[in-house]
Amino acid sequence: MSILSKILKKKQKQRKDDNYRQQQDPQKPEDLPILRDYKENISRIKGEFGNSNDIVIREFIHSKHRGALVYVDGLADSRVISDFILESFNENEIVADEIDYFQFMIEKAVALGSNKVIYNWNQVYDSMLSGDTVIFLDGYNKGISGETKGWEKRAITEPSTQLSIRGPKDSFTETLRTNTALIRRRIKSPNLWIESMKIGTVSQTDIAIMYIKGIANEKIVAEVKERLNRINIDSILGSGYIEQLIEDQAWTTFPTTYHSERPDVVSSQLLEGRIAIIVDGTPFVLTAPAIFIQFFQAADDYYSRFDISTGVRLLRILAFIIAILGPALYIAGTTFHQEMIPTTMAIAIAAQRENVPFPAFVEALIMEVTFEILREAGLRLPRAVGQAVSIVGALVIGQAAVQAGIVSPVMVIVVSITAIANFSTPVFAMAIAARLIRFVLMGMATVLGFYGIMLGLMFMSIHLCSLRSFGIPYMMPIAPFNLRNQQDVFVRFPLWAMKYRPMFISKGNVIRSGENQKPGPPKQGDDTQTPKGES
Amino acid sequence: MMRKFFVISFLMVLLLPIMSGCWNQKELTDLAFVMAMGIDKGEDKKFDVSFQLVNPGNVASGQNGGGQGLPIAVYKSSGNTITEAARNATKMISRRLYYSHTNLIAVSEEVARDGILDMMDALDRDPEFRTTTQIVVARHTSAQDLVSALTNLDKLPVNKITKELKSTEKMLGENIGVNIDDFLAGLVSDGKNPIVNGYIVHGKKEQIGNAQDLQKTIGGAFLEADGLAVFEKGKLIGWFEHQWARGVVYVLDKVQSTGINVSWNGKKHAITMASIRSKTKVSVHFKNGKPLINIAIEDEGWISEANTAVDLTNPQVIDKIDKLVEKEIKRQVLGSIKEAQKMKSDIFGFGERVHRANPKQWKKLKGDWNNHFAELDVNVKVDSFVRREGIRTSPFWINMNK
Amino acid sequence: MEKAKIKASQMFILVVLFEMGSAILVGLGVQAKQDAWISVLLGLAGGLILFLIYYRLFKYYPDIPLTSYVQKITGKWIGRPLGLLYIVYFIYCATRVLRDFGELLTTTIYTSTPLIVINSLMILTIIYGIHKGFEVIARVGELYFSVIYFMAFVGIILIFVSGLIHIEYLQPVFEYGWRPVVNTFLKQTITFPFGEMVVFTMLLPFLNDSKKVKIACMGGMILAGINVAITAAINVATLGPELFSRSNFPLLTTIGKIQLANFIERLDVLFMLYLVIGGFFKISLFFYAAVAGTADLFKFKNHQNLSFPIGFIILCASITIASNYAEHMKEGLEVVPIYLNWPFQIIIPTILLIIAFFRNRKKKTSTS
Repeated sequence: MSILSKILKKKQKQRKDDNYRQQQDPQKPEDLPILRDYKENISRIKGEFGNSNDIVIREFIHSKHRGALVYVDGLADSRVISDFILESFNENEIVADEIDYFQFMIEKAVALGSNKVIYNWNQVYDSMLSGDTVIFLDGYNKGISGETKGWEKRAITEPSTQLSIRGPKDSFTETLRTNTALIRRRIKSPNLWIESMKIGTVSQTDIAIMYIKGIANEKIVAEVKERLNRINIDSILGSGYIEQLIEDQAWTTFPTTYHSERPDVVSSQLLEGRIAIIVDGTPFVLTAPAIFIQFFQAADDYYSRFDISTGVRLLRILAFIIAILGPALYIAGTTFHQEMIPTTMAIAIAAQRENVPFPAFVEALIMEVTFEILREAGLRLPRAVGQAVSIVGALVIGQAAVQAGIVSPVMVIVVSITAIANFSTPVFAMAIAARLIRFVLMGMATVLGFYGIMLGLMFMSIHLCSLRSFGIPYMMPIAPFNLRNQQDVFVRFPLWAMKYRPMFISKGNVIRSGENQKPGPPKQGDDTQTPKGES
Repeated sequence: MMRKFFVISFLMVLLLPIMSGCWNQKELTDLAFVMAMGIDKGEDKKFDVSFQLVNPGNVASGQNGGGQGLPIAVYKSSGNTITEAARNATKMISRRLYYSHTNLIAVSEEVARDGILDMMDALDRDPEFRTTTQIVVARHTSAQDLVSALTNLDKLPVNKITKELKSTEKMLGENIGVNIDDFLAGLVSDGKNPIVNGYIVHGKKEQIGNAQDLQKTIGGAFLEADGLAVFEKGKLIGWFEHQWARGVVYVLDKVQSTGINVSWNGKKHAITMASIRSKTKVSVHFKNGKPLINIAIEDEGWISEANTAVDLTNPQVIDKIDKLVEKEIKRQVLGSIKEAQKMKSDIFGFGERVHRANPKQWKKLKGDWNNHFAELDVNVKVDSFVRREGIRTSPFWINMNK
Repeated sequence: MEKAKIKASQMFILVVLFEMGSAILVGLGVQAKQDAWISVLLGLAGGLILFLIYYRLFKYYPDIPLTSYVQKITGKWIGRPLGLLYIVYFIYCATRVLRDFGELLTTTIYTSTPLIVINSLMILTIIYGIHKGFEVIARVGELYFSVIYFMAFVGIILIFVSGLIHIEYLQPVFEYGWRPVVNTFLKQTITFPFGEMVVFTMLLPFLNDSKKVKIACMGGMILAGINVAITAAINVATLGPELFSRSNFPLLTTIGKIQLANFIERLDVLFMLYLVIGGFFKISLFFYAAVAGTADLFKFKNHQNLSFPIGFIILCASITIASNYAEHMKEGLEVVPIYLNWPFQIIIPTILLIIAFFRNRKKKTSTS
């Protein structure tokens, strides 16, 4: 055991060393400096990209200096290039030996928002591939990278998966910058910090970590960064990649990071001290740490009054329980504990099951699997065909199956209730976890009835209690119980009473609102009353 | 790696037993719900047990078209114990007999007179049985008749008896629901004798269980609650007829609502007070070591009928009616106590009261309690209040006489 | 030793769940008939005094469990075997509870299911919990604490609404004099469940704030004791003393009597819910104490490795300790309290405390 681990450790160390060398290797072509001869630079680019035809190389002569600008067609905005680089060249000729030509270019001629001096090829590729324009000037062993990003992007649309009734209607897009802007627009504080990095050895995906300095727990920020730095994978094509690579516990069905496509939700998470991870190319922003109850909080909870949102939240939790237990209870009730069903109901169910050829478990399994298939099919189908599926589904699940005597009507009711209950979980990741557990519990119920279900639930709760998200216990304010943090768990306190941020996340700065926030009638009394003296 | 392997194989071994089957699993369609059991005296074996099984398809209305056939089927088997009879019944029934929904145990008078102790433990011990199952005695008829009777109103014939007992306890107060637990509690107690409802078959007994009988609005045969059977040491020793039954229910504090008729100005049954609330308190006093029972009944109600010219707006008249009602209730209660004392059977649980009030004295009285009971002094005090008189003030009789 | 730390409130909840565990299920103090609740309360008082002994011992050695300080007090040669005996005792207790639990299910609901199936599944769940560590068990405790109280609340309301309570069944108090009550107290209620607090001598070092040990544990005991007494009283008031003393599991019978609106009846599932939860914590804590003790005594670094073998021992033993329920109960009521519980819960700790007292006084005088 110990020998094994020692060997493993050694190997890991070696691997780490390898990585280090890779990054630092001076012989790597990417770290080579830019050459003085711009022609050579151009031919190098041509060679590296294999003459890809979206690489645009335009040579120019400006104030008797030769040079070339290089950009990737489609990523860079060609109108910006013609208006603010080439046009500006014509207007700004260098007068004698005013200053150094390179300096002149950077300060005056290239009239872009952001210009950078770059020195090596790594930077050249970086700038080009993120849509910037690289300018090589003959005789200088450095280049200019001008910001000309301007690829086609999707407009900000309404959220498609996390809808709200009273909340804002914008949602994140695939563009990292747009997403950070959407959040910044909501939190206008210099304390909102963004740190960026690139992950993916091939894809070089931009990733931004956002948090509010002073509210977020520094330890967790450091932990998040460390876990992100640890990732060594060829590509990150969506935030789901990151999620799977930074979880505390790999073997679990429960989501231990939260994701949202709503800027308001992410902003509120940031304000509670969480850390957002924005991945370029995904309209879903990850937030961490996540706790269990968070997956039952919907944006609308905070836009409507507390009594209503409390009721709705309790309803959601109930729905989650139904979604987990529905068919399992049916199986346990009809095959083990017939005594617990009221007599008339037992007889009614028995009458319906009279012609059903399968045992309850098989019956339930058939219906549940059919439903899952239908749901899965409906999810991926083009919209035009979708309707057909729902009609077929309704007919197959609803009526034909019953009439054919394959399932009993009660089973149809059970399946529909569980399905609907399942959809009421606000976050899909949690809903799908419930679905998986449902099947496990169905099996347990078949073997041992309620006892099986209870053991399954016990297993589930042990598991839930053992989970952590970035070191925060997953069942946090419930277990370990914390009285002061119960403001947003089962009961959503009125906003004026939610004085604290979740203390287990943001240590230190936890006061959310001032004293005496409870609104009330004007102190002077009623305006409609006739003033004194008149009567 | 090796450790993981061991752990997993260990888990497998632990999980093995589960794979081999589902022991207590029983599909609904494999069960025969026993709704009621009738216990008669057997010919060669000790008991003849009739099982009333429900036929779910015929009971539940739904798209399968309920009510095509008879809702129940009755099978009869015999055995020296209840379990033996139940197991013997499997020779006739395709499904597993299932007792969790059994709501009624009917015992024939014959068996009851011989003693029903031998069947009680089966009902008490089996976890499938509900302790809330009602128990009744089939009077002048066999228990089989009772469980095979069909009814017009109730889809489940067993409900006819169980619901009826509940509603009559509520509306009339001449029967009380007695379940196995109550019965057993009375059986083991020194200071209380159990009582059980009696049921008779009205009309032609041959018509019982005949589906054609259901086509008529007036059935050829129907069941009716009649009297309370008094048990002593597990044997039926006598009956309380219905005129005395209400007194018993009063003392047991089970009366919820009933109607008391009183005479007015010489006219018999002129006024009926429907009581809506009634509370009985029984207390024990000791006089020279002899127990004295005080019964205080408080009764509230409204005038549901006044078939005579009586001025109900006059509080004094109401007072007078109160007094008459009190007298009537007292008469009934005292009557039933006398009746019980004649039988020397303490069905009211006075002995238990004495026991609780004075355990030491009770030890002396316990041995010969039945005789002590017969000579017990009982005071009855009734407070009755007419609270309101319906939606009319004085009856139309007053206007007629003007 | 695992490096777990739990809060005082978690300790409190564990004590409550542990004490109520199986005490509520089996008819505690049935020999005292309608005075069962009095003997429970007496047992509580006795248990509190016992706990003070454990607490004193803990005060002398606040950082180490019983198996360690037993060696410090009596020396290595006596202490080690004694510690081993304690571990065996904890395993035996866990075994008994598991058997109780399995018997309950096999006699009531799973009449034709083999005991080993019921027990092996339960122990599997518990092993998983132990494997996850003490902190997780404490958290699960918090999760189910409210569930249990919610159920108890619903149950009590249903019992009252169904009109099952007959206060007069509780009378006459002390019908047979003090003797049966005191007898029950000495033979049963002081050792089970209150003396079983001896388990916590293994667990107290896990508390993050050693000042709160007293309030957390004693508070938990008092709450649990009152709950058990109330349950006993409700059982008697619902069933009457005769049926109460005739029932294997009075609470199940009581719940079975609930009948409301022709719809709410046979709520055995409520009972089973409680059963699994209560059984889980009771067995878990005994089990964990055994695991922690073994790890401590034999210097295991990783306690998780021990959960499987010890779990397996508990499982096998739970099947073999008695051939039928009557034998199991007889042992539990007559042999175990006198020959096991008294020595391990009362006599040995008292002796240990006396020795520790003198040792520590000597130390103090020598240092000062």
